Amino acid sequence: MRPVLAREERAGPAFVTPALALIAGVALVPMLGAFWLSLHREMPVFRISRFVGLDNFAFLLRDPRFLKSLGNTAYLTFLGVAIETALGLGLALLLHRSFPGRGLARAALLVPWAVPTVVSGRLWEWILNPSYGILNHVLGTDLNWLGHPSLAIHAVLLADVWKTTPFAALLLLAGLQVVPRDLLQAARVDGAGAARTFFHVTLPFLRPALLVVLLFRTLDSFRIFDVVYVLTGGGPANTTETLSVYAYKLTFSTLDFGYGSAVAAVTFLCVLGLSLVYVRLLVGRRA
Amino acid sequence: MNPTRRPTVRARAVLPAVLLLACGGEEARDAGVQGAGTVVFKHFKVPGGGEPLERLLRRFEAENPGVRVVNETLPASSDRQHQFYVTNLEAGSSDFDVFALDVIWVPEFRRAGWLAEVGDLLSEADWDDVLPGPRAAVTWQARRYAIPWYVDGGVLYWREDLLRKHGLAPPRTLEELARTTRTVLDREGDPGLAGFVWQGRQYEGLVCVALEFITARGGAILEGNRAALARPEAVAALAFLRRLVDEGLSPPMVTSADEEATRNLFAAGRAVFLRNWPYAWNTFQREGSPVRGKVGVSAIPPFAGGRSASTLGGWQIGVNRASRRLEPARRLARFFGRPDVQKTLALEAGFKPARRSVYRDPELAREQPFVVRLEALLEGAVPRPVTPFYPMISQTLQAAFSAIVAGLQEPEAALRSAAIQIDHVLELEEG
Repeated sequence: MRPVLAREERAGPAFVTPALALIAGVALVPMLGAFWLSLHREMPVFRISRFVGLDNFAFLLRDPRFLKSLGNTAYLTFLGVAIETALGLGLALLLHRSFPGRGLARAALLVPWAVPTVVSGRLWEWILNPSYGILNHVLGTDLNWLGHPSLAIHAVLLADVWKTTPFAALLLLAGLQVVPRDLLQAARVDGAGAARTFFHVTLPFLRPALLVVLLFRTLDSFRIFDVVYVLTGGGPANTTETLSVYAYKLTFSTLDFGYGSAVAAVTFLCVLGLSLVYVRLLVGRRA
Repeated sequence: MNPTRRPTVRARAVLPAVLLLACGGEEARDAGVQGAGTVVFKHFKVPGGGEPLERLLRRFEAENPGVRVVNETLPASSDRQHQFYVTNLEAGSSDFDVFALDVIWVPEFRRAGWLAEVGDLLSEADWDDVLPGPRAAVTWQARRYAIPWYVDGGVLYWREDLLRKHGLAPPRTLEELARTTRTVLDREGDPGLAGFVWQGRQYEGLVCVALEFITARGGAILEGNRAALARPEAVAALAFLRRLVDEGLSPPMVTSADEEATRNLFAAGRAVFLRNWPYAWNTFQREGSPVRGKVGVSAIPPFAGGRSASTLGGWQIGVNRASRRLEPARRLARFFGRPDVQKTLALEAGFKPARRSVYRDPELAREQPFVVRLEALLEGAVPRPVTPFYPMISQTLQAAFSAIVAGLQEPEAALRSAAIQIDHVLELEEG
């Protein structure tokens, strides 16, 4: 028995290497390359390409447009994730009960998530259109959803929540499957109400699923790009510009590759920091 | 560029995209199609021009035995095309030889060293036959870096029937336009009818609109190598745009509208005036269009005492300097500059030719009278600042103009701050 195992252990790395090399090739190398690039002043139009150390990062702190886009991103992320998780939880609890047509309802729930973001962005552009959009018609209002400085970011939020709530609901619905039925029954026998049962039985079992939802959604939301790009392009007056949109414009519209990479790198670092916090929470819980 | 450096440079250009979007795939190409004498022509999707273009390319092949043209289409969005060209050209790609450039990219691509000189492809007499706007856009220090293909310019559309109903003449000044709008809106009393619609979303289109109003007032975006935005002319022009929204002459939707949003509103018969590009004309005259035969069109009128101005748009044909098939590539570029080729595209796809002589063609006058009517307007079209730094300048302008029309900032403050930022960009060239 032993020699076989040792042989397998020796062979192990050989099996894993191709996969690791692939990940390194398509994820790690480009990422490190972008970091390297962010340490340069790199503007092909100006024929400028030189190492500047952390200059780009120092300038970020003095760039009001960067700070504004960081603020916008954080606002969209935290508000968006909170709403999505709350709505997703509600939907998951509803769909967990048995009722006629539940299969259909569960399938229908997935539709927004299945639509590509660019398509749903266009959809919302029409819904939000101030002159012939259905939202103003239904609400009986005359609001300029995408053109008004304080409304536009909430219009983006709305489109994003619509799109991603199903994802949260689906993961939480899966999480609900592991809550043992006998415990729920025991709670009912002991005379616990619905609220008490939820907070003392369901929620503790749901915690890992909740953390996973928060982790995935926060990471995804922090990189929000397509819905903003389609709906507002960052306008009006940069009030909906997020980090990814700003980095995109810097890199591909103004060809400021170095500074654009610095913004992208900061986005990545923020996401990394957030995910470390979540992973700690997840692992800490388990241990 | 040193060939051994290319992979790193390519990686550099693509990296931020990988980090951000995990996009890509555009570079995948079948290397087998590029035999000797094969020229790859990259361009945007030509609206209504796919087939005429295909026929023209077959004509070119017939005239140039042994040369084959592979026709490759990019997404319709101008931003996406710019992104494609930048990443590929910066990487020294020779995957395509001839490509279509938006008028605002030429100085930038020239400065980056991506464009082959093409001045000798046309004779001096031929260059004199090219409209002045596009000619200036492709010229730097008496050298030419692209062949003007077709031009575009902003125009004003109006509802002829509504104006006639209320005994009003088409406006000759922008002040008159505002008064006429007010009169029609008041007399119609229809809440579903908008006044003057234009593109006010934060994007390139807003810069085009603002430039028309600034020029109409006698101002400019740049003067020499300095921003002229903080001058009273520009401030007054932008204040006028903002006032249109404040006073209800333009609906609030303009601050988030692009070409299509405004065109759809006007095409549905729900606006009195529209600023747009000439392409909209044919869509209004279609069978079943509610505004068919009811639309008037002219250049954008000036402010009283100013000058009429259309922002210059349009596309040029460039030759990739890294091309390995320079000879056939240059022949294809020359082909697109020919008057008879531009005439074919004008007849079959409604392109506005870059060559003046084509506008005097009797067949074109018969078949496409609208195109011929635009000549004077296109002759005087105002280019956006012709500088390699235009993309940076445009980013600043878009944000500032958007802040003004959305009512976030006063025109004077927004323009003064934009002027400082633009001067800072322009200093890079001097330093």
